[in-house]
Amino acid sequence: MKKRVTLTFPKKTVHQPITYRLAKDFNVAANIIRAQVAPNQVGKLVVELSGDIDQLEDAIAWLQENDISISQASREILIDEAACVHCGLCTGVCPTGALSLDPETFQLTFARSRCIVCEQCIPSCPVEAISTNL
Amino acid sequence: MPTRRTLDEINAKIRTQTAVVETAEAFKQRVAQSSVGEALAAVDVVTTGTFEPMESSGAILNIGHTDPPIKIRDCRLDGVPAYAGFGAVDLYLGASQPADSGNPGDNVPMRDRGGGHVIADLVAGKAVQLQATGHVTDCYPRGKLDTTISRETINQFYLFNPRNLYQNFIVGVNGGDRPLATYLGPLQPNLGNAVYANSGALSPLMNDPHLNVVGIGSRIFLGGGIGYVAWEGTQHFPLQKRLPNDTPIGPAATVALIGDAKQMQPQWVRGCYFKGYGPSLMLGIGMAIPLLNEEIARHCSVQDKDLVAPVMDFSIPRRVRPTFGLVSYAQLKSGRLTLNGQTVRTAPLASIYLSRQVAAELKDWITQGQFELTAPVAPLARDRAFLAQDTWNPQGGLS
Repeated sequence: MKKRVTLTFPKKTVHQPITYRLAKDFNVAANIIRAQVAPNQVGKLVVELSGDIDQLEDAIAWLQENDISISQASREILIDEAACVHCGLCTGVCPTGALSLDPETFQLTFARSRCIVCEQCIPSCPVEAISTNL
Repeated sequence: MPTRRTLDEINAKIRTQTAVVETAEAFKQRVAQSSVGEALAAVDVVTTGTFEPMESSGAILNIGHTDPPIKIRDCRLDGVPAYAGFGAVDLYLGASQPADSGNPGDNVPMRDRGGGHVIADLVAGKAVQLQATGHVTDCYPRGKLDTTISRETINQFYLFNPRNLYQNFIVGVNGGDRPLATYLGPLQPNLGNAVYANSGALSPLMNDPHLNVVGIGSRIFLGGGIGYVAWEGTQHFPLQKRLPNDTPIGPAATVALIGDAKQMQPQWVRGCYFKGYGPSLMLGIGMAIPLLNEEIARHCSVQDKDLVAPVMDFSIPRRVRPTFGLVSYAQLKSGRLTLNGQTVRTAPLASIYLSRQVAAELKDWITQGQFELTAPVAPLARDRAFLAQDTWNPQGGLS
């Protein structure tokens, strides 16, 4: 199974090779969707963890033991339907095609499941119709 | 014998609600399924539309005289400077004028706002703060004015847009290695995306390439109200190279538009902001084309596959930018194009969804007898050159 989580690292754990440990000790694949990590700073990682359900739970327990806080309520992109003018500018910068124009109606469509919350669409929108919920 | 009809005949039919009106897209389909001649015989009027950012727009306001009166020298509307170099309380608010960042030392961050947002707020009936300082004279003793205005509390509020409805435009890409913030929105490096800014076959002046129908005085749909073509637009360039179907291969004709903003509707007048570039105004504009003869009908039959625009590389910030050649609007609207063997995502800047709604709404107005068509009182220039501003060197002429 797959689980998308946001990991927040305290300064002292930033040096740990987290994805290596997840793979080696728990056979969990960590697909990094977004990362903000620098020496001596609090780090943030949005990852999609996939593996056996029991091992996933063990991995999450291990992360928590290491003072890494886990948030399962991950950031999402929100579209303000009333503000959107369907210009389509955001579709050109969306790397996964989550934002697209319907080929018939040319209305903006948003496939949430394909969104990796890279947030490139937010500054591209000329009418401030795109935001995140966090 | 091909069908011919006069504008008076069409207007008589509009008054009795018997005119046959079709949107440009429906008319093009009809032509594709039959012929120009048959479509012309069946349809009286074709409606076109666009909804896109048009930064060369602005509003004239007369705010009314205060007591004691003021001759405004310097003015801010919701923090956006307005030009006051006319009569005492006449103002011009430009759509692309950025909001001030606040008083020096206030530490107020730059707001992503400008004249376009203030115009849109006024159209939406909102109150807007006005701060003005006066040029104190014997006639106008007042030195300062701080008040709020709305469209109900001012005398005139009309848009006067020096350049709208570009007949065709360019496609922007970025062949460099850093992201660019442009008037076409963000252009990603290494040909990451391509942005086009015209609604193609639905766009008003693409359907009247030689300006046979539109001219000074033509009545139009402007921001949900009624407007008129006032003059040729700035950078009007009808001499642009053209395809055999008479449509231009790049930016060509433009028009200056005027219309009462008090009648306009907020859904068709929207402030917008391009990060790293500045504010602008998105406008819905529609034009009705009377099908007077076969040439006009043939011009209205062009489709996206028959229209092209040049792909320009914005990584070279010069007046003449390198080009990747021409691409068709059918290709652009497919969402992908190929440049240098590389697939590039395309995205429009004109809202095709709302452009269609403008054409449909104008069609409804005409069908219901609320909008009659006008003959131009004078034609737009057809031979205007496109001059560049080169530095004058007093020793040796142009350098």
